[in-house]
Amino acid sequence: MATKTVINEPPRDIITPQVQASPDTSSGPNKTLSPTPCILVVGMAGAGKTTFVQRLTAHLHSKAAPPYVINLDPAVLKLPYPVNIDIRDTVNYKEVMKQYGLGPNGGIMTALNLFSTQFDQVLQYIEKRANEHSLVIFDTPGQLEVFTWSASGTIITDTLGLTLPTIVVYVLDTSRSVNPTTFMSNMLNACSILYKTTLPFILVMNKCDIIDNGFAVEWMKDFTVFRQALSQETSFMSNLVQSMSLALEEFYSNISSVGVSSLTGAGINEFLAAVDKGRVEYWDYLARRKKISEQREREMKEKTIDKLTELKKQSGKGTKLKLGLDLAVQPEYEYEIEDDIYGVGGESPDEGDLVHDEDLDLDES
Amino acid sequence: MRYGQLVIGPAGSGKSTYCHMIQQHCETIHRTVYVVNMDPAAEHFDYPVIADIRELVQVTDVMEDEELNFGPNGGLVFCMEFFLQNIEWLEEKLGDSEDDYILFDCPGQIELYTHIPAMRQFADVLKSWNFNICSVFLLDCHFIVDATKMFSGIMTALSSMILLELPHINILSKIDLLSSKAKKSLDKYLDPDPHDLLDEVSAHVDPKYQKLNKAISSLINDYSFVQFLPLDISDEGSKDNVLLQIDMTIQYGEDLDVNTKAMDGADDQD
Repeated sequence: MATKTVINEPPRDIITPQVQASPDTSSGPNKTLSPTPCILVVGMAGAGKTTFVQRLTAHLHSKAAPPYVINLDPAVLKLPYPVNIDIRDTVNYKEVMKQYGLGPNGGIMTALNLFSTQFDQVLQYIEKRANEHSLVIFDTPGQLEVFTWSASGTIITDTLGLTLPTIVVYVLDTSRSVNPTTFMSNMLNACSILYKTTLPFILVMNKCDIIDNGFAVEWMKDFTVFRQALSQETSFMSNLVQSMSLALEEFYSNISSVGVSSLTGAGINEFLAAVDKGRVEYWDYLARRKKISEQREREMKEKTIDKLTELKKQSGKGTKLKLGLDLAVQPEYEYEIEDDIYGVGGESPDEGDLVHDEDLDLDES
Repeated sequence: MRYGQLVIGPAGSGKSTYCHMIQQHCETIHRTVYVVNMDPAAEHFDYPVIADIRELVQVTDVMEDEELNFGPNGGLVFCMEFFLQNIEWLEEKLGDSEDDYILFDCPGQIELYTHIPAMRQFADVLKSWNFNICSVFLLDCHFIVDATKMFSGIMTALSSMILLELPHINILSKIDLLSSKAKKSLDKYLDPDPHDLLDEVSAHVDPKYQKLNKAISSLINDYSFVQFLPLDISDEGSKDNVLLQIDMTIQYGEDLDVNTKAMDGADDQD
């Protein structure tokens, strides 16, 4: 056990559910980039996300480098670490369940949706405080897919990705992954999140105190060992599973993985080193994203100009009329912005502003 | 032989709507399909069910129980384990008539598939009751906005596929909610050209994953069943197509008698 440090409850920053009249517009969240890294802790229920955050928080406090912690799980009963922003201060998910007539799952999802509409406030707080903290930590809801396959999760991840050096931390329950099928399914999920976010990624093998993560490391390094384990476990050794485990080998070889025990605190230093590495990777991510959005912008402009030149070329049969089209003048064209791809405008009105900041800027240019 | 679909997918992907839709669609084509609700945390659904797991156990009851004091997740796990211990309840409800076609509206949490073998056991039990079953994985099409999200969706689908070890169909739901422009851009991911897909993904992710991208795109290329079927509930043809694919997978209708009544009806119309 590492030494226990007494941590005073930090002053809570509370996100108010009301729309604020005039948020500080002079410094938009995208313009000033804070260098403080931010980690998004995701993982399946029971993987030990909260205890991992607890250990990390305690470790950073003991080094006098306190983190800024944000809890996004509306259903958590008790948080074992001091938290700066808590979704439970803003939304009461039990009340949401009652008022909207939802089950526990729908309640969590709706609570998160409601919270994400006020995410600009979270960003403002982080902006303000980032310099005082060494790390920004997000603890996500227990159910994995509530965060990864929901509109609010996408909004939060994408917005953070543009604002702070964000790193996704996938927490894996090592003790449950001794079964090769479970292990592989977990890895496929991790891989899925990697593609979903395209952010720098760290795999944390938690609960190393129960079982050493050596077996998993060996599986990740040596395909034949894994195949052997798999063939003992299951009768379903189709070609697909084989090809899949081969494909995943490429995933393992590039991913930074750390064995951590949230109970004893082993591996935390290695984890922080991985965070530093991910922070460097982040700038490539940002450059890639900027490039893609610039490309989209360019394509859209080109399309407009193409359309206009085509119109100009077409010779009509009637009398010549001056159409007043001049290519030198920037055409005023209504772009159909692609946000309706998300189609969730109705659910969270702020979504467009948050996710597609660059796209919206187009309109003004 | 009986037939069944295990309808799975993340929360909010449209599982219950799918069950409702299939049931109604089958009614119009003179087929009887029953639905069983398997989600102890289900809120409401507007279809008639022949069995509802909430009659047996309800997640809110478990959560409110003072002794158990579970959170939403623990509650769900408890419910599923309780259900498996009392599986006779379902057996009674389902009866044993031949050629029944049943949809099982399952809970979405991936933890129920990975952490505890509940769903796997359930699938095995169904097989032992002489069911031909397949898993139907639904995904909200709104999340498939570019090639990386497509990869992501495929990986999620695969992860539940290898856990259930059942014949598997992937469906993209809610196509009817897309704008025509978004539909067009989705088309290229439904029948993807692996090279185009690879190029697009490579632009989005870290170059160090280049090999992984290649490996996955060849997986998509080699195994056509990791593709997604579009489901537009406003389009009869799309429903027919989905149902046909699933029927083929579970071999429904191979040994059925020819529906002479329907054929006579068709003749009458001529």
